[in-house]
Amino acid sequence: MPTPAGKLTRIVLLLLVLGGIYLLATQKHMQREEDRQTTVALTPACAAKLGRYGLAHGEHYQSPYALQRTGASITVRGYSEEDVRAIQRGCNIVDDTQGHLARDAGRERWNTTRFIRGTHANCNHCHQGIGDKQDADGNRLKGSLNLGASWVMADMYDRFTGLLLPFELRQMQCYINSSNGYKPNIADDVIRDVTAYSRFLSAALELKMGSHYDEQGIDEIAASATPKQGDDYVRGEALYRQKCQNCHGRQAFGLEANGRVVAPALAGPNSWNMQSRNYFYYVSTILPGFICRNMPLGEENTLSNQECRDIAYYISNLPRPAGDRQGPLVALQQQILMTVMPPLMRLTESAGKHEVPAERVPARVQ
Amino acid sequence: MKFPAVALKYKAILWRHWPKSYGNLVVGLTLALVTLPQAVAFSVTLAGVPPHFGIYAAIWGVLFCVMLNPSRIFHGGPNTAMSATIGVTLLPVAPPFGAEYMGYALTLGLMAGLIQLLFFLIRPLGRMLDLISEPVINGMICGIGLFLIFKSLTTFGGLPLNTEVEWPLWIAWQSLQAVLEIGNLYAIEVGLITLITCVIVQQFDRLRNMAILFGIAAGTLYSEYLSTTLGLQNTLIEQIGNLSSIGFISPSLPLFNQEAMPDVIAIVPGAVTLALLGLFQTVAAMRRMSRKVGGFTDSRKAIFSDAVSNCLLPFLSSLPTCASFNRMWLVHRLGIHSRIAIASSALWLLLLVLFFAPLIAVIPMPAMAAVIILLGANMINWEDIKPHLADRRETVVFMASFLSVLFLDLFGAVVVGSVLAIAYSKWEQAHPNISLRGNVLKIRGNIYYGSLPVIEATYYSAIEREGSVILDFSDCYYIDQEGIRWLAAAKARQKVDFADRRRKQDRRALERRTTADENGVSGQRRGKPDRRQRSEF
Repeated sequence: MPTPAGKLTRIVLLLLVLGGIYLLATQKHMQREEDRQTTVALTPACAAKLGRYGLAHGEHYQSPYALQRTGASITVRGYSEEDVRAIQRGCNIVDDTQGHLARDAGRERWNTTRFIRGTHANCNHCHQGIGDKQDADGNRLKGSLNLGASWVMADMYDRFTGLLLPFELRQMQCYINSSNGYKPNIADDVIRDVTAYSRFLSAALELKMGSHYDEQGIDEIAASATPKQGDDYVRGEALYRQKCQNCHGRQAFGLEANGRVVAPALAGPNSWNMQSRNYFYYVSTILPGFICRNMPLGEENTLSNQECRDIAYYISNLPRPAGDRQGPLVALQQQILMTVMPPLMRLTESAGKHEVPAERVPARVQ
Repeated sequence: MKFPAVALKYKAILWRHWPKSYGNLVVGLTLALVTLPQAVAFSVTLAGVPPHFGIYAAIWGVLFCVMLNPSRIFHGGPNTAMSATIGVTLLPVAPPFGAEYMGYALTLGLMAGLIQLLFFLIRPLGRMLDLISEPVINGMICGIGLFLIFKSLTTFGGLPLNTEVEWPLWIAWQSLQAVLEIGNLYAIEVGLITLITCVIVQQFDRLRNMAILFGIAAGTLYSEYLSTTLGLQNTLIEQIGNLSSIGFISPSLPLFNQEAMPDVIAIVPGAVTLALLGLFQTVAAMRRMSRKVGGFTDSRKAIFSDAVSNCLLPFLSSLPTCASFNRMWLVHRLGIHSRIAIASSALWLLLLVLFFAPLIAVIPMPAMAAVIILLGANMINWEDIKPHLADRRETVVFMASFLSVLFLDLFGAVVVGSVLAIAYSKWEQAHPNISLRGNVLKIRGNIYYGSLPVIEATYYSAIEREGSVILDFSDCYYIDQEGIRWLAAAKARQKVDFADRRRKQDRRALERRTTADENGVSGQRRGKPDRRQRSEF
């Protein structure tokens, strides 16, 4: 038995530790609250987008976009200053998830990088145009994963699991699989702010709750929508070399310049994982749909359905991280593949033959 | 005898037994209060079924186990790993909380029960479960203790539970940061008050058994104070909630029909996992805890009680049951080892749910999380770990099983730990002690396929040097068929003599036993030749 003095010391120590944790918690809470109150430094793209949509605090909100396009627009309840800041932060997170444009990435982006493995993933890579991709005339594009259109379809039943998935949980799936990362807590600001931004987009675009719009989600391409030739790895590789390699690199490991991601990785440690629905062997209709409607940048909708499926098939055969649920053995196998394959591939290919000249890399891809 | 005299006598009996029954009741109440949140949490967040499934498991599962299992410390009821397995197995089959899903959950439990019954009926299969060694179990216990702490962190901070199957250590780190940054400060205060009250009350020997009750009471009082001053809509502290719809018993039928058959077949592997997980935990926990309190219970009895309970529980709309490390630990800590205390926990729970539902409803979840954190911390006991660190092999097995709980899962821990432990013991057997003096080659240990190469190496070098050898296997206690064939072949080459210098009395005893066997006197083993004896020369 410990002596009374020892007992007392242990209890005092325990109390000190618990008190310390409590103090640390209050301090961190205060810091968060302070961050919520500070004026948001918008990224250039966000400043342009939110400015165009006339985001400001006030009693009422009327969408300039809708007014301009249809000549009429409904008036809805406006936003408080706090709402405006949340929407602005949400826009920043979607546009610049990794916080390259922020002065203090951790505080301004709510530590998003904590929930992402790798250095490439950015919401804007899939949800292009900061979650609201439009052509030059301001038309929203089919199958462009519009976040506003996604919000009005919020709380859908998941097609694969049959679960009722709230908008917040669907964001978590992005973090877990598409960014091959970890799930933020559902009450975290990082989730709340992106939700606020998505809600604002749906108001700015005047989308109706519960309606399905073409720009929502992926325009999936099933095998039945092709001439039934079967998906072909070899055709896919040839197409990849021709259409994708310039930006995404020979091994599809992405392209970085001056510390910025020019084109994200489609394979390797920075890419989505094997449990993402982008993974062809898991769901074979989603990646082809994304490629057809959103790729190559500036030449969207130029690839045929079969070509998209072939490219997706090829990309999914490249080594990528395992999903968290697939267990340590698959994870190890994929890690080994990702480490061993690239140098082997480089060895077997003739050096210098496939080098991409620097001037062919587009200036603005992101 | 007149009436008052009878009354007086019973009063005397009651008075004499009062302290003991009082102790039983307190332990039972504590157990009931600890089981309740676990039952609710496991069924809702892990298994994906309504809370009454877990509560019925904590009532009827515990009662069945108490009736069938003679162990004085065995506490059944809902279990983390089993509930999680149900959720993982059924998620692809049907949407959770639906009627179909619940039907499949019951079917899954029933199939697991039937598989467990097989483990009882096929004796060697059940005996295999005994091959989990103590360092493996202790490693698992420490791992589970840490795991419980991690798992409770979010509830402690008033945040939604993280149910994703991910890397537990990373989730723990993420949860801690989330609690510090965005946790509900009121919830954290309630949890801290509960934790501190428990720890302080524990220091007084007289109140030791009631520490958890005091802690929960303090936490509940503080949360009630907050609710009255600030309003529950502002504090947002999660409470256990309304359980008043739960009755005494709720009969149910597992889903077995024509349409369900493909899905039922699809979940058979899940049922096997469920059955094994339950049995592993039951056998391991019971052996460990029985040894701690200085007793022994045959694991076959535990397998039987688990199997029968799990075959019955699906008809009472309940989750399957198996031993619970943390609650058995609590029984041990409280110091009262009796089946009455454990049975009273089930009855307390029934009473609480039936008559005190409004009172339970206001118990805050952070207080419950604090209690579970405390239990987890208590499971990591230096006194239990220390003996394993003295021996390198035990250390390796212990660490492997401990880390496997954190990096893989319970099942992985059992497999990794047991494979290591068995490998070590096989390694030991494969290296008999061989000494060569003159031309006498003495072997201490086993002669079997594993050790033969080692023996052969020395044997042939001795033959080369000496020309002929005398093989002395007086100290051999097991020779397998391969060993016998090898010895026969060596003898045939006429370069070896055999010596058996067993002490005379041993030999006589051996001879006596052999004659007894031949005469068929030795009862039940008649007709079954003893494997060891047959190979003894």
